[in-house]
Amino acid sequence: MPASPRASDLVEDRRRAALEVYEREPVPTWRRSGFWTTTLRGLDLDALEPKRYEPGLPELDLGDEEHAALIVQRGATVVHTHVADERITVMPLERAVEERPERVAAYFGRRLPYDDGKFAAGTAAFWTGGVFIDVPPNERIERPIQVVWLIDEPGTTQWAHTLAVVGEHAECRIREFFLAPDFDGQALHSGAFELYALPGAQVDLAHYQDWGRGEVHDLSTRRVEIRRDARVKWVPIHLGGRLTKQTLDIITAEQGSDMRHTGLYFTERDEHLDLFTTDKHEEGHTTGDTVWKGVLTGDSRASYEGLIHIVPRATETDTYLQTHQMLLSPKARGDAIPSLIVEVDNVKASHGGTVGELDQEQIFYMMTRGLSRAEAVRVLVEGYFEEVVQRLEDPGLERLVRRRIAEKLAGAEDQVREFIGERAA
Amino acid sequence: MTLEIQNLHVRTEEREILHGVDLTVKRGETHALMGPNGSGKSTLANTLMCNPSYEVTDGRIVLDGEDLTEAEPDERARAGLFMAFQYPATIPGVSVANFLRMAVNARREEAIKVKEFGGLLKENMELLRIDRDFTSRYLNEGFSGGEKKRAEILQLAMLQPDFAVLDETDSGLDIDALRIVSDGVNAMRGDERGFLIITHYTRILGYVRPDYVHIMIDGRIVREGGAELADELEDKGYEWVREEVAASAG
Repeated sequence: MPASPRASDLVEDRRRAALEVYEREPVPTWRRSGFWTTTLRGLDLDALEPKRYEPGLPELDLGDEEHAALIVQRGATVVHTHVADERITVMPLERAVEERPERVAAYFGRRLPYDDGKFAAGTAAFWTGGVFIDVPPNERIERPIQVVWLIDEPGTTQWAHTLAVVGEHAECRIREFFLAPDFDGQALHSGAFELYALPGAQVDLAHYQDWGRGEVHDLSTRRVEIRRDARVKWVPIHLGGRLTKQTLDIITAEQGSDMRHTGLYFTERDEHLDLFTTDKHEEGHTTGDTVWKGVLTGDSRASYEGLIHIVPRATETDTYLQTHQMLLSPKARGDAIPSLIVEVDNVKASHGGTVGELDQEQIFYMMTRGLSRAEAVRVLVEGYFEEVVQRLEDPGLERLVRRRIAEKLAGAEDQVREFIGERAA
Repeated sequence: MTLEIQNLHVRTEEREILHGVDLTVKRGETHALMGPNGSGKSTLANTLMCNPSYEVTDGRIVLDGEDLTEAEPDERARAGLFMAFQYPATIPGVSVANFLRMAVNARREEAIKVKEFGGLLKENMELLRIDRDFTSRYLNEGFSGGEKKRAEILQLAMLQPDFAVLDETDSGLDIDALRIVSDGVNAMRGDERGFLIITHYTRILGYVRPDYVHIMIDGRIVREGGAELADELEDKGYEWVREEVAASAG
């Protein structure tokens, strides 16, 4: 099939326009009221470059589940694509521009403007490989569609773009993994993710980020659009990254659309996490439910700001947002800010946020039953996260998340003991 | 084989609450510690388990000859001490069954086999007439007062400690629940186990008949006797004790 000039032109025009923005814009610093600043001062951008690799499937731990499709991008190259379920299309986005031009032209970048800051522009200008997912209408895809973004050496930039379209009344599970082994040195993942859940679709979406102990910087925007009577359950999991600055938006765009947005993060050492999520209700009779929970150890910094935005015509919207943060170290700093823009009456919208520490009474109680202090802390933190982990509804991924959290807690045992001891005294 | 509380002085940040308490519970004995609100009963119970809100400034806690005064709560639990809390903490995200398994395993070298644990749990839930779905609920989350107390006694039954302190387990229970809890406690009484039942009221002592009764007022044990002392208290009230103490001091 000859390539449609329309899709490739669209992509190329966008690259050119985005490049101008990228070159014009300075490296940003993000500031908010209070103590919060996210700066890229520590990142030596000029020392990084896209790295290309030969095809081949790297060794990965994805919670050992069989997949409907697996696509792996290592550095700048898609090194592995395997589609087990013939009903779906999963391929590098570069190839989809050529082979699925109508679909790409219809959706590519629709909710992701290329001029939304330097790194959004950089991603739009420089992306390579990329991921395209297309689930046909009325199909139920049982096994997950797995996408892996792998950075396995320092000095790498990875400009990433995922475009997913889930057809009318289709059902599927999509998991994106962001993985790096522990390495010394810097890397950048600048990502764009867009998902369109067409009318009546049911999508179970998870993002699993574990960038390891290296200095991986992640600057990403992820946006999910939910059309009439469609439903998306989205569970982002953040388990590591030297600096993460992400915008995660979920949009109920038509009547009857429903979102469940449930995230967790665990920061340690000198990690810096800056998350801004928006639950945007663009039409009436939409529903939403957002819960984010975080734990901070070490010298880490974590800020979560969650906005509910209800536009004027979105009457009869029913939504709420809760955010909780737990400090396990005297040197960690964080905030959890729920906010609300409601431009219409006749909606139900509520929000709440807490920042707290482990409860002495709970620890004491558990210890009187024979659990050591470290076990009590582990059980409490696991229990605290349980609400989020259970929403994965994916035993393999749940195991992976629980195991990583347990490992991180074991690593933080001394400082947690010291912190709790200080509080008790 | 005994739990010995020797000349125990305990304070919070603000003030001293226990001013030298002596109390000895031997295995096979059931003691009742009674007193009005604010007399220091719960402070004693919590201090026995090393609640970080209380500081021991003098005296000792000795279990079977081993000094536990400085021991952490988990060491005391593994040494055989148990307290049923008056106000147990809520543990979100942790089911009753999971918590019980962890607690049982904390006292064992090898983890309990799934089948053995299941059998033990079933037996004890029948004893305490607890519904089966109870164990999949998160511990104490959304529990009524009575359910919390029953969950405490279920833990007691599962852990089979050498010495159990019941901190006002009877308060807030209706008659039926009180009877069930009392039956559970009675089923566990025996030569190998000692009980210290802390209560404001005498009614639980109608079901769980103590061998000894101690009355605490203002951080001191002021009267001691057998079960008949509880009956006398039932008739005459704490004011009577207070007056007697004042008279003998004066």
